[in-house]
Amino acid sequence: MSSDDLKRPALRRFRPRRVVIFGLLAALFLLTAACSQGFQSTWDPIGPVAEKQLQLFNVLLWTMVAVFVLVEGALLYIIIRYRRRPGQPRPPQIHGHTALEVTWTIIPTALILGLGIWSVFTLFELDQPPTDQGDILEVTVVGHQWYFEFEYPDADGNGKRITTANELKIPVDRPVNFILESDDVLHSFWVPKLGGKVDVVPTRQNTLWLMADSDMIEQPLPATYYGQCAELCGIAHAQMRFRVTVMSEEDYQDWVRDYSPPSALTPVSQQGQTLFAIHCSLCHSVDGPELESVAQARLDQFLTGAENAAVPGPNLTDLRTRHTLAAGITDLTVENLRAWIKNPEEIKPGNYMYSNALLYDEGGDASLTDTEIDAIIEYLLNLR
Amino acid sequence: MAAITEVLPRPTYGATGLWSWITTVDHKRIGVLYGATALVFMLLSGIEAGLIRMQLATPDTDILGPGRYNQMFTMHATVMIFMVIMPMGVAFFNFVVPLAIGARDVAFPRLNALSYWIFLFGSILMHFSFIVNQVPDAGWFSYANLTEQPFSQNMGLDFWAIGLLILGTSSVAGGLNFVVTIINLRAPGMSLMRMPVFVWMTLLTSILLILAMPVITVGLIELVMDRNFGTHFFIPSEGGDPILWQHLFWVFGHPEVYILILPPMGIVSEILPTFSRKPLFGYPFVIFSGIVIAIMGWAVWSHHMFTVGLGPIANSVFTITTMLIAVPTGVKIFNWLGTMWKGSIEFTTPMLYALGFIFLFIIGGLSGVSHAVSPSDFQQQDTYYIVAHLHYVLFGGSIMGIFAGIYYWWPKLTGRLLNEKLGKLNFWLIFIGMNVTFFPMHFVGMNGMPRRIYTYSSEFGWGDLNMLASVGYLILFVGFLVFLYNLWQNRNARRVSHDPWDAPGVEWTISSPPPAYNFAEVPRIKGRDHYWIVKDEAREAGNPITEPEAAVDPSTIHMPSPSYWPIIIAAGVGLIGGGLLSHYGVSFLGGLIAFIGVIGWANEPPAAEEH
Repeated sequence: MSSDDLKRPALRRFRPRRVVIFGLLAALFLLTAACSQGFQSTWDPIGPVAEKQLQLFNVLLWTMVAVFVLVEGALLYIIIRYRRRPGQPRPPQIHGHTALEVTWTIIPTALILGLGIWSVFTLFELDQPPTDQGDILEVTVVGHQWYFEFEYPDADGNGKRITTANELKIPVDRPVNFILESDDVLHSFWVPKLGGKVDVVPTRQNTLWLMADSDMIEQPLPATYYGQCAELCGIAHAQMRFRVTVMSEEDYQDWVRDYSPPSALTPVSQQGQTLFAIHCSLCHSVDGPELESVAQARLDQFLTGAENAAVPGPNLTDLRTRHTLAAGITDLTVENLRAWIKNPEEIKPGNYMYSNALLYDEGGDASLTDTEIDAIIEYLLNLR
Repeated sequence: MAAITEVLPRPTYGATGLWSWITTVDHKRIGVLYGATALVFMLLSGIEAGLIRMQLATPDTDILGPGRYNQMFTMHATVMIFMVIMPMGVAFFNFVVPLAIGARDVAFPRLNALSYWIFLFGSILMHFSFIVNQVPDAGWFSYANLTEQPFSQNMGLDFWAIGLLILGTSSVAGGLNFVVTIINLRAPGMSLMRMPVFVWMTLLTSILLILAMPVITVGLIELVMDRNFGTHFFIPSEGGDPILWQHLFWVFGHPEVYILILPPMGIVSEILPTFSRKPLFGYPFVIFSGIVIAIMGWAVWSHHMFTVGLGPIANSVFTITTMLIAVPTGVKIFNWLGTMWKGSIEFTTPMLYALGFIFLFIIGGLSGVSHAVSPSDFQQQDTYYIVAHLHYVLFGGSIMGIFAGIYYWWPKLTGRLLNEKLGKLNFWLIFIGMNVTFFPMHFVGMNGMPRRIYTYSSEFGWGDLNMLASVGYLILFVGFLVFLYNLWQNRNARRVSHDPWDAPGVEWTISSPPPAYNFAEVPRIKGRDHYWIVKDEAREAGNPITEPEAAVDPSTIHMPSPSYWPIIIAAGVGLIGGGLLSHYGVSFLGGLIAFIGVIGWANEPPAAEEH
């Protein structure tokens, strides 16, 4: 068979118009995106760490845009300029050009080494907290399935220990040095507006420093920012969020001073205290930072994976000063807390409270009356 | 021993029928089997992606729920990587490499069949997890110790680990086969520096497979032992180290990235010269940059671990090595542009896909630089920015390259051209759908959306772009259906000549579809663009360019006979794995079958007896 007998049908010619349409579409994306500035946007830093990282990204971004325009432009130019025309003879058979090869090896190498060296400087610069910007506050972050716990070994400079969960309070304009620990699986601690993430790894103590800069915060203090776990850590990973409240130094010291267990002053809240002790205290502490032995006992039980094992639950000492519930996924109101105690599975599927507490063993709502639940709420929130 | 081979005598060669496919050792048929299987898995995994996009299209959605969602993204990635892109690469190795080097088959035809059947049974075994509803759910990277007691209580991760162990044996066997084939079976005249770029990339990929798969195998065996036999390699509370898993995984995982992208780069390097009517620009530089990538690919794995806390020194080293790998990648792109420069470019469907590959791969490569820089990556790691990047590389790169290859070599496989109109519709739907799906993810990621979350609240402002991405998925899906329809309608298409593209490769010198023996006479290779040289000489001599007639009687050509043993051994291997997941008795049975299979294989007569 000769190939001339079976020629392919002629193909339609290439239309540059399509390229233009695509370009317009791409521009549209850019426009939509520029408008969206969310709670976790990395475009909108409020501290020096996030700012430096953004600066670096912006330089990379514009370098990328320049390379993109040059290379894709060359590509589009070539395919339009050299598209096949009817009756065109075979083009010149060029096999290569050594000088060109050397050029387009050396130029990118130089560009990349330049950017690379700058990156390395930034990396080392951001590695340790600055020592000339006020006292460094130490906070230990413990990642749990599925909430973050925050321990202040010395919250006020006078040795006051604080343990809280889900809501981190930090003073403005002071570097905060975080020590990241986990007793269960990997997590990643991330507050996009303050800075990049660092993983929370069992067996390791990672560190990360962040600082909220009053010059970059555009709202009145105390201002609240969003954070979220960024490493897959199991079924409720999506709902392992937290808030960071940036406070003036005075407000922060007030919060530290006021940190104390809820007081059971009314008969109802005394009943709540008793109920809490019976039903909740296996996992939750409510009287300040837990003892090492208590925390260890909970962890040991938890790691057995047994059906009704105790779990290291969030510390509820200062629940009444918090604004969110269930790792930052819903607002802390009496109604929401009531619904949460009644059936946490409906709010946060997969949580250990529902699967492990004896309260829910029948597979439905908590085996507590509404009055009992309200008593616990009154106790925890110190309602009068 | 002989009794075994008497029970199952060597089958005679059957041209058609199920039996002929089961016992085939013909590299072209095995290539088709790989390709067809991978397409089925592509559809499956694409549907998984659709469920993911459905769940994420709007905030606070509860279609899948967290459990199913974790299963979907785990299986989507695992299937796309191990059961779609890798086997698609192997499908091209099988179909194209022997034809492109002038060989009659691969070096070890039965081993080749064994690789396929092990791949198939391993993949099916992993999908059994859906039937027993214990689906892997810890991500395709399955970071320890979420994969350990008490955090992973069903058997999903066992299915995952044992399935991948089985797939790994298939990959290593395939890799060895192609290294030996390429080194030993080249036709006279085809020196290494005359080999088509695709064959070079096959060689490099095969070497990477042989070296990389054992690393993940070590990790997987340790994981299976942790989960089933009480060891604690990765259990921190028992003194193990979860970071060890990450190192093992990514020392495999990053070369794996090049295993996924080098074959499509080779495909594109074949297609661009054909449709520009110009030889590849800077051939030695394209080859050497491929080699440099394959070597440097081993020195960058910790860029997946910048946020793990390895410290600024380790992060600096991996920042620099990762950024430098952009150089050889850039060299390839510049040479592709050089190939088209002053060319005569024809926009056939394979060429459109090859151009789409270049266009999208540049975007993926550039965004890659921004998280090669570790301080910048701290904000991007584990966000949708990375999801966008990896899909520009793996979809915009690998999948576009694979489609380009399918459209390019289809007429060689079937003797029929895929419909060009449908092909272009297919291309534009995929190209536009791809960008609508994945481009917005860059912004969602920079706006702080982490990966692997099944839900998000509307207050974060990620809803609109997620909806856009989900709409993009629909366009992609329609594009894929158009592709399947194009394959389906092809059985009625008009036959074309053996060389419809006026291509330079050796594979185009023989008839389409090629006869079982490929080359009646082993060709003498005249240069890098062999068939162009041959056709030029014929034109100068005034001879018509025709399909070569068989110069010898085909019945005298000795070809390897079909064999039952590959599928029997593979079934045994599959049962060993299945037994580890159910009852150890099944494993012993599988071991026995595999053992008998090996003995039968070893004692098999060289050819079927003539009756």
